[in-house]
Amino acid sequence: MMNRGGYFQSALGGRMVASLTGLGLVGFVIFHMLGNLQIFEGGDALNGYASFLREMPILLWAARLGLLAVAVFHIATTVRLALRNRRARPVAYVVHQYRSASLASRTMALSGGLLLFFIVFHLLHLTAGLVDPSIPNRLDAQGHLDVYGKVIHAFQNPLYVAVYFAGQLVLGLHLSHAVSGSLQTLGLEHAALNRLFKTAGPAVAVLVVLGNLSIILAVFLGLIHT
Amino acid sequence: MKFTLKIWRQQGPNEKGGLATYEADEIGPDMSFLEMLDGVNQRLILAGEEPVAFEHDCREGICGSCSLVIDGVPHGPDRGITTCQLYMRRFSDGVTITIEPWRARAFPVIKDLVVDRSALDRVMRAGGYISVNTGGAVDGNAQLIGKEQAETAMDAASCIGCGACVAACKNASAMLFVAAKVSHLASLPQGKPERARRVTAMIEAMDDEGFGSCGNLYECEAVCPKSISVRFIATLNREYLRAGIVESGVPADPETPHAESD
Amino acid sequence: MMTLDPKIPPGPLETKWDRRRFSEKLVSPANKRRIKVIVVGTGLAGASAASTLGQLGYEVECFCFHDSPRRAHSIAAQGGINAAKNYQDDGDSVARLFYDTIKGGDFRSREANVYRLAQISTQIIDQCVALGVPFAREYGGQLANRSFGGVQVSRTFYCRGQTGQQLLLGAYSALCWQIERGQVTMHPRTEMLDLILADGHARGIVVRDLVTGRVTARTAHAIVLATGGYSNVYYLSTNASGCNVTATYRAWKQGAAFANPCFTQIHPTAIPPTETYQAKLTLMSESLRNDGRLWVPTAPSDNRPPDTIPASERDYFLERRYPRFGNLVPRDVASRAVKSLCDEGRGVGPGGQGVYLDFSDVIEQQGIDVVRERYGNLFDMYRRISGEDAYRVPMRIYPAPHYTMGGLWVDYNLMSTIPGLFVIGEANFADHGANRLGASSLMQGLADGYFILPYTIGHYLATAKVPLLPDNHSASQAALERVTSRVKKLLDAGKRRTAASFHREVGRILWDHCGMERCETGLKLALQTIPALREEFWRDVAVPGSGDAFNQELEYAGRVADFLEFAELLCYDALHREESCGAHFREESQTADGEPQRDDVRFAHVAAWEYRMDGPPVLHKEPLTFEFVQPTTRSYQ
Repeated sequence: MMNRGGYFQSALGGRMVASLTGLGLVGFVIFHMLGNLQIFEGGDALNGYASFLREMPILLWAARLGLLAVAVFHIATTVRLALRNRRARPVAYVVHQYRSASLASRTMALSGGLLLFFIVFHLLHLTAGLVDPSIPNRLDAQGHLDVYGKVIHAFQNPLYVAVYFAGQLVLGLHLSHAVSGSLQTLGLEHAALNRLFKTAGPAVAVLVVLGNLSIILAVFLGLIHT
Repeated sequence: MKFTLKIWRQQGPNEKGGLATYEADEIGPDMSFLEMLDGVNQRLILAGEEPVAFEHDCREGICGSCSLVIDGVPHGPDRGITTCQLYMRRFSDGVTITIEPWRARAFPVIKDLVVDRSALDRVMRAGGYISVNTGGAVDGNAQLIGKEQAETAMDAASCIGCGACVAACKNASAMLFVAAKVSHLASLPQGKPERARRVTAMIEAMDDEGFGSCGNLYECEAVCPKSISVRFIATLNREYLRAGIVESGVPADPETPHAESD
Repeated sequence: MMTLDPKIPPGPLETKWDRRRFSEKLVSPANKRRIKVIVVGTGLAGASAASTLGQLGYEVECFCFHDSPRRAHSIAAQGGINAAKNYQDDGDSVARLFYDTIKGGDFRSREANVYRLAQISTQIIDQCVALGVPFAREYGGQLANRSFGGVQVSRTFYCRGQTGQQLLLGAYSALCWQIERGQVTMHPRTEMLDLILADGHARGIVVRDLVTGRVTARTAHAIVLATGGYSNVYYLSTNASGCNVTATYRAWKQGAAFANPCFTQIHPTAIPPTETYQAKLTLMSESLRNDGRLWVPTAPSDNRPPDTIPASERDYFLERRYPRFGNLVPRDVASRAVKSLCDEGRGVGPGGQGVYLDFSDVIEQQGIDVVRERYGNLFDMYRRISGEDAYRVPMRIYPAPHYTMGGLWVDYNLMSTIPGLFVIGEANFADHGANRLGASSLMQGLADGYFILPYTIGHYLATAKVPLLPDNHSASQAALERVTSRVKKLLDAGKRRTAASFHREVGRILWDHCGMERCETGLKLALQTIPALREEFWRDVAVPGSGDAFNQELEYAGRVADFLEFAELLCYDALHREESCGAHFREESQTADGEPQRDDVRFAHVAAWEYRMDGPPVLHKEPLTFEFVQPTTRSYQ
C-alpha cells in the first residue's frame, strides 16, 4: 500500500479531499443561511443569535479557523487539480462541442474563483465593515451588536443588492454541480438512490440561493425595515 | 453528396499542425465515414500528395482503433458507435466537417489523425489483470457467480479501449477507462484478492501518464461507443477509498508487487 | 527435399497427447532464462502463447502491427467458444466434439490433432474464468451455454455477442502481467517483414518499426508466428483491414510449407456490398438463419418491392433444395446457393448482389417483440449500415470471405517444416480440415497458445540447442537487404495506380474464379491474369512519402504485394484439388443434383506447397489416415 501522502497526492485522492472539504463548506453555507433567516423573526432574534455566537469566543474562533482551514484545503486542492487538468490537454480542439455536461459542471473553476472573490467581499463588507464606511455599527436596545441594522442598511442600496444577487447566482451554479459530483467522487452510487443523488445538488443550490435571496429582496423591497 | 472537409494535418509529434481543407465529391449516402476518407486519400495519392493518416482496423466497432473527433465530438454525431460505424447519410449534403485527432498530453500525435494511445496499455500493465498462471485453474463452475454480477462485469468489460472518454473529457482524464477495468475485475470473485493493489496501482499509473482528473462532467459516458456508465467511476472511487481505508494496514511494497512470483 | 513428418505419437487416440507430453524433453528453469522466443501477433493465439511462455520463464519478445496488442482481429469474433464440458448433460463429450469437428471439416484434418483440441477445450474455459472473462451465467451462477453451428448439443460458451473480445482481453491481461514482470517485451506498431534462416533453423525475423520506419533484425532461439488468416486476399471480407498474409507468406518463401491454402470459408450472412469504395463486409450473426427465411423472386430481375411479391412468386431456395435442414444448412452450402443464384441474375438489391432474409413469418407468428428481443442488436446494426428497417422490409444478405482453414503446415508439435519456426492459431493449417465449425476458431487459437505450444516448443529448445545468431550475421544481413530493397522498390514504382485498386482487382479475380465455386478453366484463367496484374503493380503502384517515417500507404502496399503473389498459390491449390470437400467446391466434382463430391481415394491428404524461386510451387502430400472414425458423406438434403 502506498503511503498516506501518496494516496491524497493522486488526482483521485485530491478529488476526494476537494469533495469532503467542499461538502463541509456546503454544510456551513446551509447553516449560515438558516441562521440568517432569523431576520424574518425581527431584529431581536437575529441580534440575539449573533450575540449568542459571540458569547463563546473560543468556540467561535475555533469554528472560524476550522472553516478557514477547510476552505484553504479546498482551494489549494482544487487549484492543484485545475493546473493538472490544464496541463493534460496542451493543444485545444479547434471545434469542440459538449454533449451532456451542464454549464455548472463546465465552469466549476470559474464559479469557484468568483465565489472566492464574493466571499472575501462579503467578509470585508458585513463582517469587518471595511467596504462601506457608512454602515452602522451600533448596539441595539438589548445591548447586542445590531447586525439587523447592518443588513437593512446594506440591502437598501441597489449596488450591494446587485453584487449579492450575482454572488448568489455564482454560489448556486457552483453548488448545483458540487454536491452531486462530490457524492459520485466519494463513490456514493446505488441504482435505487441515484436519482436522489443526482437531484441533491440542484436542490441544495436552489434552497440556499432562495433562502439567501429572500433576505436581500425582503429588505430591498421594504418588507423588512428598521 | 458533396462535403468540405477540414482535416488536422501534422507531420509528427513535435511539429506544428493545422487544419487543411479538402473537397469530397461523389460521396454516396451508404458510404461509411472512413470509406469517405479512403476516397479522399485515393485521390491524394494519385495527385502525388501524402494521404491523411488515420487509424482503423476492424471497421465494425470493436477493435477500438478508429479515433476521430468529428465536428468537436469524439466518434461523431451519433451515440453509442465508433467512427467506423458512422455513415454519410447522417450528414446533410454540402456541409463542412471538421476532423481532428484525440487531444491529450497522454496521447501525443504521431501523424495527422493518428495518436499514440500506449498510455492506456501502461495503465493496464500496472494492474489490469488477475495474476493467475496458465494451467491448474479450477473448474469454471467451481465458483458460482450470479447472473446479475456476471452481467455487471460484462457491462464494464465491454470497453474497447478507444480512448474517446479521454478525448471528450474537459480534463483529458482516463477515469472511465480505468473505472471499466477496475469495476470488471472487482465485481468478480476472481478479482477480489488483488483489488486494493490493482486500484491504487492503476490510479497511480494514470496520474503518471499525465491524464487529468475527473470533474464528473460525464462527457465520457455520452461519447463512449459502448455506452459504459459513469456509475463505474463511482465504483472505482469506492474501490480506491476502500483500498485507502479498509486495507491500509496490509503490508506490501508497491515497487515490487510480484516479488513473490519472480 | 522437403519431408512432411507429422510426428503423431503412436497408440490410442485418448492417450496420444499425454504420452507426447511425457516423452518431451524439458528445459531446466535456469536455462529458460537464457532462452529467447519471438512471438509475432497478439491475437488469441499469440497473446496466450506469449504470456504463457513468459510465465514459464523464457525471455519473450512479442510483436504486433497494431498500436496495442488488444486490437488484434480475434477481438471481432462474436458467437462463442466450444468446449466439451457437458455442463448441460445433453450427451456431449470429448469424443463427440472431436467427431463433430472432424466431420464438419469434411475429413480433411488429422485425427490426433482434433482429438487433442477437444481434450483441451475444457481447460480453456477454466483458464479463462480464472482470468476474469465474464462468461454468461445462469441465474444459479453456473456457466451458460448456447447451441451453435447446427450441432446437436449445447456446448458453446459466450459473452453476449462479444466472446472474442472478452477472450482476447483475458489473454491480453495475462500478457500485461508478464510485460509488467519483465518477462515479455512488447513491440507494438512493429511489423514482421521477413524471416531469418541460418543452418536450416529459424533464427530471427526482420521487423519494421511502423512509426520511425527503422528496419531491424531480431534474433531468438525460436520463432512463433500467430499472424492470423488471409481472407483479405479477396479484398472484401469480414476481416479487419490490417489482416494480411505477409508474415506467413514470407516464411513460406523461406521454405516453410503452406498447407491447403484453397480451404477458405465464406460466411453466408454478411451485409451486401453497395459502394465501389466499400472496404469491408460486416458479418451478421449466423443465428439469424434460425428464424429468417432466405428467398429470391422466382422471376429473374423482378424489381418489385419485396412485400408486393406474392408467396407463389418467391423461391425459398434453401427450403426447396434442402428440405431436411432448410435454412439451417452449413455455411458453405448456404453461401454457394446464394452465390449461384446471384450469378444467374436472380439476386436482389444494388448490383444484384444479395438475397432476402425475411423475418415477416416469424414476426407474424411470434410477434415483433420476440424478434426484437432475440435479434434487436443485429437489426440495429443492419439499419445503421444499410439504412433499412429489417422489421418492415426483408434484410439483404450476401456471402463474405470470413476464415481461412489453410495456413502454414505444422506437425503435431505445431512446428513448421522449418525447425524452430512454430505456427499457431489461424495462421497454421489447423485442425479444421476443409471447413470450420462455428465457435471453433477461438477454441483452437487458445488451445494452441495456452496449452500446446508452451509444451512443444520446450522440446525443440531442449533438443535443438541452436545458439543465438550473432549480430551482423550474413543471414541477418541478407534478410535485411531483402526487406529494404523491397521497400525501396515500392517507393520507386511508377505512381500511376493506388495499391487499393490492385488489391480490389486481385480480390475480384479470386472471388470470381477461386471463391465459392471453382473450375479448371476459371482457375487457369486466374493463374494467367494474376502475374500480369502483379507486373503492373510493381511498375505502376503509387506509394507516396518515404520509408523512414510513419507511412500507412507503404505498409499497405507491401501487404498487397504479398497478396498478389499469394493469390497464385491459392489458385494452384484449388486447381490441384479435383474434388469438392468442405468449403472447397469444384464444379467438376458434383453429383447430378449439384451436391459436392469428395474423392477420398485421390485427395485424402494435406496439400503442402513448397516455394520455388524458379517456377510454380511444388506439391507435397501428407496422407490422412482415419483409424478411429470412418469418413462419411456430408449430406444435408
